[in-house]
Amino acid sequence: MMEVREHREDLILRLPALRLTFLVVIVLIAACYWFVQVVHGSFYRERAENNRLRKAAIQAPRGRIYDRHGRLLVENIPSYRLLLDRSRSRDLDTSIRFAARTLERPASDLQRLLDRARGTSVYQPVVLADDLSLVQVARFSVEALEHPEFEVDVEHVRLYRNGPTTAHVLGYLGEATESELRTATGELQSGDLIGRRGIESQQDSFLRGRDGERVVVVDSRGRLREEHGNRQAFSGHDLELTLDLELQQEAARYFADRVGAAVALDPRNGEILALVSAPSYDPNVFARHLEREQWREIVEAPHDPLQNRAIQNVYSPGSVFKIVVAVAGLEEGVVDSDDRYFCGGSTKIYNRRFRCWKPGGHGSVNLHQAIQKSCDVYFYHLGQKLGVEKIAHYARLFGLGKPTGVDLAGEKRGLIPDLDWSLRSRGTPWYPGETISVAIGQGPLLVTPLQVATLMAVIANGGYLVEPHLVAGGAPVPPRPVAVSAASRELVRKALWAVVNDRGTGAIARLDRVEIAGKTGTVQVVEQKDWIDSKDLPFEQRDHAWFGSFAPANEAELVVVVFVEHGGKGSEQAAPLAKILYEKYFSQADGARDIS
Amino acid sequence: MRSTSARLTALATFPEEHPRLRHLGGVRWGLLVSALLLAAVGMATVHSASSELAVDYLPKQALRIVVGLVAFALAFSLDYQTLAKFSVPIYAGAILLLVLVLLVGSEAGGARSWLRLGAAQLQPSDIAKLATILLLARYLAGINRRFVRIPQIFMACSITALPVLLVALERDLGGAAMFFPILAGMLLVSGVRWRVLVAGAVILLLLGGLVWNFGMLDYQRARVKTFLSPGSDPLDSGYQLQQSKIAVGSGMLIGRGYMQGTQSQLRFLPARHTDFVFAVLAEEWGFVGVLVVLGLFSSYIMSGFAVALRARDRTAILLVVGLLSLVSFHVLYNTAMVVGLVPITGIPLPFLSYGGSFIVANFAAAGLILGVDFRRHVNR
Repeated sequence: MMEVREHREDLILRLPALRLTFLVVIVLIAACYWFVQVVHGSFYRERAENNRLRKAAIQAPRGRIYDRHGRLLVENIPSYRLLLDRSRSRDLDTSIRFAARTLERPASDLQRLLDRARGTSVYQPVVLADDLSLVQVARFSVEALEHPEFEVDVEHVRLYRNGPTTAHVLGYLGEATESELRTATGELQSGDLIGRRGIESQQDSFLRGRDGERVVVVDSRGRLREEHGNRQAFSGHDLELTLDLELQQEAARYFADRVGAAVALDPRNGEILALVSAPSYDPNVFARHLEREQWREIVEAPHDPLQNRAIQNVYSPGSVFKIVVAVAGLEEGVVDSDDRYFCGGSTKIYNRRFRCWKPGGHGSVNLHQAIQKSCDVYFYHLGQKLGVEKIAHYARLFGLGKPTGVDLAGEKRGLIPDLDWSLRSRGTPWYPGETISVAIGQGPLLVTPLQVATLMAVIANGGYLVEPHLVAGGAPVPPRPVAVSAASRELVRKALWAVVNDRGTGAIARLDRVEIAGKTGTVQVVEQKDWIDSKDLPFEQRDHAWFGSFAPANEAELVVVVFVEHGGKGSEQAAPLAKILYEKYFSQADGARDIS
Repeated sequence: MRSTSARLTALATFPEEHPRLRHLGGVRWGLLVSALLLAAVGMATVHSASSELAVDYLPKQALRIVVGLVAFALAFSLDYQTLAKFSVPIYAGAILLLVLVLLVGSEAGGARSWLRLGAAQLQPSDIAKLATILLLARYLAGINRRFVRIPQIFMACSITALPVLLVALERDLGGAAMFFPILAGMLLVSGVRWRVLVAGAVILLLLGGLVWNFGMLDYQRARVKTFLSPGSDPLDSGYQLQQSKIAVGSGMLIGRGYMQGTQSQLRFLPARHTDFVFAVLAEEWGFVGVLVVLGLFSSYIMSGFAVALRARDRTAILLVVGLLSLVSFHVLYNTAMVVGLVPITGIPLPFLSYGGSFIVANFAAAGLILGVDFRRHVNR
């Protein structure tokens, strides 16, 4: 082995010099700290105490939201908060007693808020009250010399002028979470409010402004002494919706004591004029500091008020689905307009009895009459001839089974069952008897009320699938033509006219001013052995009520879909609201015509 | 033919080929003790600094220290000669990570220097520093002369320049600057003639002028300018500098008490749990606290020098010197920055500052240093 003498010692000899350099520098730095902290310490201590340089955010106002006629839906209002700086209080008990007297609240309430803040730094102000009245603000200002520990600050909070009426459309604001802060680097700061649910969430970046910032010198009382520089705040953009506040209010009023959803949209372009889900909640509660009990109250309320039933809940479409099955039958040549079936109140298919909703039966009916009277037996036979695959194909053509693309988050896609779905999701082959149920809109089939609205629009507007939306003035999405012949659509449209205007199941919705076309639907929630009026059942077992409609029947301007959860019969519970909305809409339109 | 006893004697006089467990007792554990004490002080200060934020950073910091201890154990158990043997692929891997961060990294504070790995974040420049030290140690150890010659200096500069360039491209100026003390420390110990040293200083000055004029972004120039005249930019760098000085100064001799610093608790001080954690400590524990922490750092560095002085070979000495240069420069720069002696740049304080992979890298460095000490009796 060859010996190589390493020049190790040369390195070793140079180490002490390096070590000395480090020591000298660190001693110099320590000397600097001694100079700043000990020699000049009191100077800096005084500056920390009295001459505080403060970096304050300038809150950028969020954009306001208007309805289609320029009526204000959401605005920002100032809200005054009372802050207590414990470090400036001579005696906390005295401070609390003074505040309680001025606020006219029990001292124990305030004491509880103070106790909750125990353990945090005394320099961190505690919020004692939100929403002070101007009188209270004045009282605290008058006593500022005596009680410098109190500070009133102003914040802009959202005011949803119509509260629960527009809650599911507009949503509300909430403090950004830690993960949201991370993904939006620089844009958001801890404590910033961002949109939660609805338009507030969907259009958050459009509505949200950019906060400014200023550096100010404040004195020991927190009062401004001088300003050092600032960066301007940019307010958010105002937003106009396609919503019509009056229609929205009518719909919300109707649902005051009901559970369900309603949608009104323009079938020509997909503009949503009303979208209501019931029960609702008051978004203004979220605009303030939310107590845990308040949150629990909302979350645990019966029928889940936070849920937007128009897009986030799925239901069986019931007889409304007969529109799809009828078009499928005509398009596939399985029936023509003259073919008749006899309805004796029930029929036997695959060795099982399937009942019509009408105990006595409808007699001999053709397709027009089957839709008009909503004859189940006719559609049982038609469904059997079509098979589930064909029905599913046409359901998809009408936009069912996928999101409508509405500009709200959390939309459900629904479910269009077919053979493949059955094997994949249930692991069992499709049972032919299920096709018979699907033909009248029962079985595993699921849709959202908004999907039913787009389905109605296809019949109403001459065969186009529209993308429903709430934000006005966006780039219009061109409606997509649905590959269905005009002849089939016309037959169905005329039958839907007859449903309301020619002794059909929807006669209750009939209006003199304008001709309405529509289809009722009643969904059995629990399978019944016999013909039973579900009004006598407990709420959860009562039937769901549907009414899908449009008007004027020949040149539609408005589609209205009403869904009442456990409402009972579609004709009795859902159709009346449609009538109210058309009345309102067309009297508005007439009024506008009179003015011009 | 030798007798058995002669062979036994030969074995006994030659050092072993592998470190023995009994050598564990002779290792300079004081270095690890200093590191752990510093980490404990860091956790307490980070907790205080984040007490007014929505999240307490203490649990995350504690988790990182645990990961750091695993890194320590790993680095301690690896033979530095083996590491030196693989220093080229390690270096190449680190460079690759730096390129990767340029392509897919995420941004924070104006610099694009983070890699997201699920929940964890990694700053590849921390790895690159260790990899560069390793490769430089191997290269300079191989020269084995009294003084390094100019072409060799160029080679060492090139090894350092590549990661520096990539880190600077990430717009992480502080991170890039940290490579220079490593190179300087290791070259000086390897032996540089005076005339070369002087020439080098002149060239560096000229280079600095060029970088100032053509190589810096506006916000970087602004930071240096603010340092030269604080108050000119009260919104950003100047604000931070003033708040930091007020925090340090108002601590006075014995401090305002734990969690009682107005500067920190009232959120006047930006970056108070990361780069400016020392300002929080200075405010709440005063000059006494400052001395204790600087003392702990000195004890760490002195233990490191003791390891270097008794290290077995050139690779070991250079490796330890490189690691010590890195840590000590971080300590000196950060503490000087907090008290307003040098421009503000993103250089954290080892073991104390909250943050990502830096604390893990520091424990790994401690493991490497003590690993060298553990193997000082091993024959090569």
